[in-house]
Amino acid sequence: MDEEDKISDSENQTKPEKMFTLKRWNSVAMWSWDCSTDTCAICRVQVMDACLRCQAESKKDATNKDVTCVVCWGECNHSFHHCCISLWVKQSNRCPLCQQEWSIQRLSS
Amino acid sequence: MSLRPQKIEFDVVWGCLRQTVDKVLKLNRVERDDWNSSFTDVYTICVAFPEPLADRLYAETKLFLENHVKVQLEEFNCYRTENNDGENGQMMLHKYYSAWKNYSQGLEYLNYLYQYLNQQHIKKQKVSEAEILYGNGTTPLAISQEQMEIGELGLDIWRLFMIQNLGDILVKQILQGIERDRLENNLTSKDIETIHGVINSFVSVQDYKKKGSLHLYETLFEEKLLEASGSYFMSQASKLLQSCSVSQYMQEVIRVLDEENVRAHKFVHMNSVKKLKKECEDRMISDHKAFLYSECKEMVSNDKRDDLRNLYILLKPLQDGLKELIQILLEQIKNEGAESIMNLKGENVHIQFVENMLQVHQKYENLISETFKNDPLFLSALDKACASVINSKLSDGKTTCRSAELVAKYCDNLLKKSKSTESEIESKLSKSITIFKYIEDKDVYQKFYSRMLAKRLIHDQSINMELEEVMINKLKQACGYEFTNKLHRMYTDIGISVDLNNKFNQHLKNLNDELNINLSIKVLQAGAWPLGPQTNISFAVPQEFEQPIRKFESFYNSSFSGRKLTWLHHLCAGELKVSLAKKSYLITMQTYQMAMLLLFENCDSMSCKEVREMLQLSHDNFQKHLQSLIDSKILNLDTEKIEDASIISVNLEFSNKRTKFKITASLQKESPQQEVEQTITQVDEDRKLYLQAAIVRIMKSRKVLKHNALIQEILSQSKVCFAPSIPMIKKCIESLIDKQYIERTANSSDEYSYVA
Ligand SMILES: [Zn+2]
Ligand SMILES: [Zn+2]
Ligand SMILES: [Zn+2]
Repeated sequence: MDEEDKISDSENQTKPEKMFTLKRWNSVAMWSWDCSTDTCAICRVQVMDACLRCQAESKKDATNKDVTCVVCWGECNHSFHHCCISLWVKQSNRCPLCQQEWSIQRLSS
Repeated sequence: MSLRPQKIEFDVVWGCLRQTVDKVLKLNRVERDDWNSSFTDVYTICVAFPEPLADRLYAETKLFLENHVKVQLEEFNCYRTENNDGENGQMMLHKYYSAWKNYSQGLEYLNYLYQYLNQQHIKKQKVSEAEILYGNGTTPLAISQEQMEIGELGLDIWRLFMIQNLGDILVKQILQGIERDRLENNLTSKDIETIHGVINSFVSVQDYKKKGSLHLYETLFEEKLLEASGSYFMSQASKLLQSCSVSQYMQEVIRVLDEENVRAHKFVHMNSVKKLKKECEDRMISDHKAFLYSECKEMVSNDKRDDLRNLYILLKPLQDGLKELIQILLEQIKNEGAESIMNLKGENVHIQFVENMLQVHQKYENLISETFKNDPLFLSALDKACASVINSKLSDGKTTCRSAELVAKYCDNLLKKSKSTESEIESKLSKSITIFKYIEDKDVYQKFYSRMLAKRLIHDQSINMELEEVMINKLKQACGYEFTNKLHRMYTDIGISVDLNNKFNQHLKNLNDELNINLSIKVLQAGAWPLGPQTNISFAVPQEFEQPIRKFESFYNSSFSGRKLTWLHHLCAGELKVSLAKKSYLITMQTYQMAMLLLFENCDSMSCKEVREMLQLSHDNFQKHLQSLIDSKILNLDTEKIEDASIISVNLEFSNKRTKFKITASLQKESPQQEVEQTITQVDEDRKLYLQAAIVRIMKSRKVLKHNALIQEILSQSKVCFAPSIPMIKKCIESLIDKQYIERTANSSDEYSYVA
């Protein structure tokens, strides 16, 4: 406490005293995949969670999120679990949401 | 002598041999030479020329043995007519025993002397064992007429003459002896040896038989023994019942059982020991079960362990004997458990709930181990009773059972503010698992636990991160990986965030950049944290926060691809240095409060409407946080109530004795009741996902499955978490058919197959 007062004293001498100064900020942020929808349209599970098939296999990797179940964005900007869309395109090579030809834009990391 | 077959005079050779036979049977001394020549005589007769005379030897020997035994029998004539009570009877037993001992001994030597006849002549014509067993064309008559080895023949003759004639008298004497042993306990060791020996003669005499060797023993003696013992036990029981309490009676019966066990081993054949015990149990326990049970409830409720231990010993051997005791114990545990958690009041309901319940559990676990030898039947009754108490609805009229919430809160309390040592906390956490295991809806517990965990982690309230992990692992052990998956992800997010903060600071250093504030950021992954929907919380972030946010986001996006960050300002807090009336304060408060105060750095007063619009706060949020600043007297308001036109100004006269403190604007003003309701609805959603994953997993491994079999599998797999309703399972199956994970098979309407 004393130290704190000293600091403010020294500040007083150099510049006009500020009434309110932000000292510390403990902030909280949430990360999610940058997707237009929260849910994978194929398995209807949240994209943040592993897809239904991966959950059924219940990966015993407890220390990290399910590394194998990543998210995949198409050129059309629609996104799905990579597992789900990979199986989907074997039947029809079109995006289930917009029917455009499916081609991968990027995978999550 | 010669080994060659030769012509012999049977009568001469037998005449010599017979003398030796006589001596052997009387156990008189036989000279070595005599023995050797007799041995040869048997051989010579058996191989005699021109025809072997073995059959004749057999017949003569048989006759001789018969006469010998007949003479013995005559010695007993006096006993067959007189009344043989008391000493006279005892004398007869001794006499018979010694005659039997001598005879059987002599017979053993004789059998050896006749070795050649036995081996070469008799064994060859003997029916094989298998033939006896499967009765292959050999009539019983043929067996009885067949020749026996001399030893066996001798035994059979003893049976036929001695036992046939004296058996009943002997048995009567034996039973009298045993009764004397029971009542007066004054048999000499010689008496005991004799009685045992006589009984044993009934066995030995037919011991050589492959089949039914105990038949004589059983019909002649055992039946009567059990009958006599039965009436003895019966009279003992009724005598005891006249004077004993239940407790005394049990002690007496246990004493009798012990004594009878010793007695049985002293006198009778092994096979009778169990039967005798059973007879004693029937007459002294089964017949008086109602009496034994008459005080059972009281024994349980008054914790009379000695009595209960005895009761257990007595009832255990009876068929279904313990059923009633177990039921009474179960009811008692249920009542005591329910009572211990009834009408709990006050702040510490969760502590009382867990600890009271644990106390009941421990008490009975201890009782079962000390008194009932950890009998699994009793342990499962304990489990049943505890589960029934813990999952029953509390009597406060609410429809939902609060156990899951209370146990979660108990853990929260331990991990948040316990003053206990680390090992104490850990042991209490372990004990909470005992109660947790009884909760049916474990997923409800999990929901509450994860909400509380989230608060602890976000607001740095956890006393120890290692303990957090320990607890998550305990839950994982109890319920498996899926159950704790999200909890684990939350836990790891905190570690990852510490890492990220370090990397971010390093990153800034590399850029020669500096933030003027002490920044710490927690980055949580969406989905794992039970924070509810984050939309609709409007807030115009002031530039003091804007800058660190921008810098961190650019750092974050360079580290990961495809991710976006949402800032949860309602969960953020910080420290503001406030200098008023020449004094500085370090005040901990939430982001919205800091943002409000910072607006007044450059102006002395503003209207409520202005502040709210600048910060774009919702009406509720604005009111709540402004009020907290007014209450703490940092800001002044010129009206009683907060109105749009009210003017806010800084209290330049502010003064507080403490220079470091915290303003708590009702942090997350959700009423506990709302929180509980939200939690319950989330549980349903999660159950559906859990069930779908289970169905996919089952179908993937089984490929094709009937409807009922699938339901059973699902029920057994989800048991560790919750008990799903059948309609919910059916809905999940339908939805998976819709999504083409599984399909109905073509040939059957109630069968599914997996779609790869
Ligand atoms: Zn998916
Ligand atoms: Zn997957
Ligand atoms: Zn698309």
